Amino acid sequence: MSPRIRSALAIPLSVMFAVSACSTAAPSPAGPGSPGPTGTAAAPAPAPTGVIEERTSEPIAEGQVVAIRAWTIGPDAPSYYRRDNLVDAAAALNEELEAEGSDQRVVVEASFESGGQWADYLQKVTLAAESGQAPDIVLAGHENMAPWASAGYVIALDDLLAQNPDAFADVIPRLWDAMKLQGVTYAVPQDTEARPMYYRKDLLAELGWSEDDIESLPERVRNGEWTMQDLVATAQAAIEAGVVDEGKGWYHRPTRGHDHYMFYYANGGRMQDPESGKLVIVRDALQKYFQLHYDAVNTWRITPKNFLGSDFRQWHETVTSGTVLFYNAGTWSWAEWLKTYEVPEDEQWENVGFMLIPAAEPGGEPTTLSHPLVYVVTEASENQELAFRLLAKATTPELNSRHSVTSAHLAILATQADDPTYAQDEFLKAASYMTDYTTFIPNHPNYGAYDEVLFRFLSAVEADEMSPADATEAAIQELQAQIGDELIVE
Amino acid sequence: MPAARTGGIANFWRTHGTALFFMLPALTVTVVLFLAPAIITVGLAFTDTSTATGLSRWGWIGGANFEQLLRSSFTSIILRNTVFYVTTTLILNIALGLGLAILSVHVRQGPGRFFRALWLLPRIAPSVVYALMWVWASASPPFGIINQLAAPIGIEPRAWLSTDPWLIVIAINGFVGASFGMIVFTSAIQSIPEDLFRAARVDGASAWQIVRRITLPLLRWPILFVFVYQAMSLLASYEYILLTTDGGPGLYGTEVWSLWAFHTALNSYYGNLQFGLGAAMATILVLIGIVVSASLLRLFHFGSLVTEPRVEIH
Repeated sequence: MSPRIRSALAIPLSVMFAVSACSTAAPSPAGPGSPGPTGTAAAPAPAPTGVIEERTSEPIAEGQVVAIRAWTIGPDAPSYYRRDNLVDAAAALNEELEAEGSDQRVVVEASFESGGQWADYLQKVTLAAESGQAPDIVLAGHENMAPWASAGYVIALDDLLAQNPDAFADVIPRLWDAMKLQGVTYAVPQDTEARPMYYRKDLLAELGWSEDDIESLPERVRNGEWTMQDLVATAQAAIEAGVVDEGKGWYHRPTRGHDHYMFYYANGGRMQDPESGKLVIVRDALQKYFQLHYDAVNTWRITPKNFLGSDFRQWHETVTSGTVLFYNAGTWSWAEWLKTYEVPEDEQWENVGFMLIPAAEPGGEPTTLSHPLVYVVTEASENQELAFRLLAKATTPELNSRHSVTSAHLAILATQADDPTYAQDEFLKAASYMTDYTTFIPNHPNYGAYDEVLFRFLSAVEADEMSPADATEAAIQELQAQIGDELIVE
Repeated sequence: MPAARTGGIANFWRTHGTALFFMLPALTVTVVLFLAPAIITVGLAFTDTSTATGLSRWGWIGGANFEQLLRSSFTSIILRNTVFYVTTTLILNIALGLGLAILSVHVRQGPGRFFRALWLLPRIAPSVVYALMWVWASASPPFGIINQLAAPIGIEPRAWLSTDPWLIVIAINGFVGASFGMIVFTSAIQSIPEDLFRAARVDGASAWQIVRRITLPLLRWPILFVFVYQAMSLLASYEYILLTTDGGPGLYGTEVWSLWAFHTALNSYYGNLQFGLGAAMATILVLIGIVVSASLLRLFHFGSLVTEPRVEIH
């Protein structure tokens, strides 16, 4: 063999060998109990593999038995009622079937994955759908239904909802916005939450605030009297007075996630056009959103440098140590601080308050953001109507309230407010009003690309790699390059 | 003519049949595991396949994925990162591997072996564990072993993964990669006839002269192999970056091409995996790999290294 031929063979062989030897996928860097749609921590540290636990409803000895399979995920461990509510609803559905004189009976086989990662779970659903082995019901983030509906993995529920008008009549109306894709309903809500701005009452008192000022803060924010400008001024004053260290005036989310968009919405941003369903970027709002984060880190120094990308666990440890004045996080974090970070409940109530995200400026609206998790019925299901009816039976004040209280999620049903289990939870009761001010991320197949661009430029702005004005223009250009006609620039 | 053709085929099987039979397992593995995925990847690069299209609603879109990459402002940033990452890590890999091999061969056999075994530990440790140790070691103040060690010599404590991400990323990959070169170079040095070193010492050569004039010239082939192999490995590797910085901080601070392809095609935070676009990225990576390896082989005169010796000694 001539050297020339050997050389020619060596090149592709060495490339193939090296690529095959080194392309082993590593686990994605999301922390346990969190990443992704439910919005808990997404720490840049490896996570253990998720634990999948299955439960099956009582076996049925008579009639035509139909198995309904369901996949659910936390990843936070306390959200196991996402599975158990389906399993426990089987009895009610079977009673109804018997009353109708039907010969059919359902057995529910449901799994719950905790400690795992959303990306892996979603990939599993995709592969199962492609191979025709998807379960009848899947729990997901509401935005996941956009690519799934587009690919034909999940079914539209409008006809079934119309045939069963009472089934979901109790759902808080605003939540239905997040269940639709271009006017078609593809999902029903499982739970929801809000993302408040938390504040330390003890530090405000140290700064000289009266008890009345502190206790009335949520209401003043709700009325639009106390804005983000006041928050910045208070944080700066606290740093100047030595009440908190520099960089500890305001902690936002330290990783990628939906929470950041609350400040885009508060500045007049829009993410989706309800008519066309296209994604929207509002130039002025985007620049104000970037400016706020740039100034917080680089001008006012109320947020630390090199913050985005830092460890979420360390974030929680810092805020629970009582050294940060304002910090925005999910409602579920309240329970997380009690359980995982072992803050005594009375101490937390005494020192920590929560309010909506203040309006960006006087005259503006306060806001928050919810990310409802949803159940979808798959195209692959051979028993779509029964699966839908099971979901209806699993969506009751009793079942949803036990999930809300256990996992610190807000009510999705109006009547949950009167449910004894829900009403006993002081925190949920006090935070429930926030759903009236909530916003959602869009349901669109290109939302992932949209979010990727905006998050990367937000990181660049905070790192002082770009000015907010330059980042705004560059982000819009990149969005246009990636999303094209599916983007409206306002 | 048909009879002649039949005879030709029969002759071919008679001549090559046995060889082909024994090569069949290797050929099957190569076709199924290497060739077929490569062809599918190149094909996918010209489609819009994603979670949103599924495997039933995709369509051919010509070179639109490549056009999108050309239009993207991220492309130049990530290409620059890739060149920087591969070059610097490769230099560290080779230099460290060579240094370790030369040093450990020239001490007594026992300590030399122990020293080399020590450097192999990161390679045999699971990637996740190794990366996690670095994440903890470089944690932001007041935590992190690096901060504890650096403070006494006047280096200000910092969140190393945020302030100096490349330093950590290159160190992680460089230290684990050096062990590969160390093994290859150690074996190559030990196979150099001892006579050459004795003769050099008799002639009064210093240790440095022996390394410079004897060891290094005779290591040209293993250096070329490690250089090309590690360059290709680094082009395709991303797991330690994924596990430490995940491509950040800032605007793709440490995102490299292979990680970008992984993020796009296989790890979507919102579930819409863009297989077509990711395949276009992978195709470009393979093309870059071919160009780089061809350039390196030419640079090191690979042809002359594999020429059969002019004198055969029996």
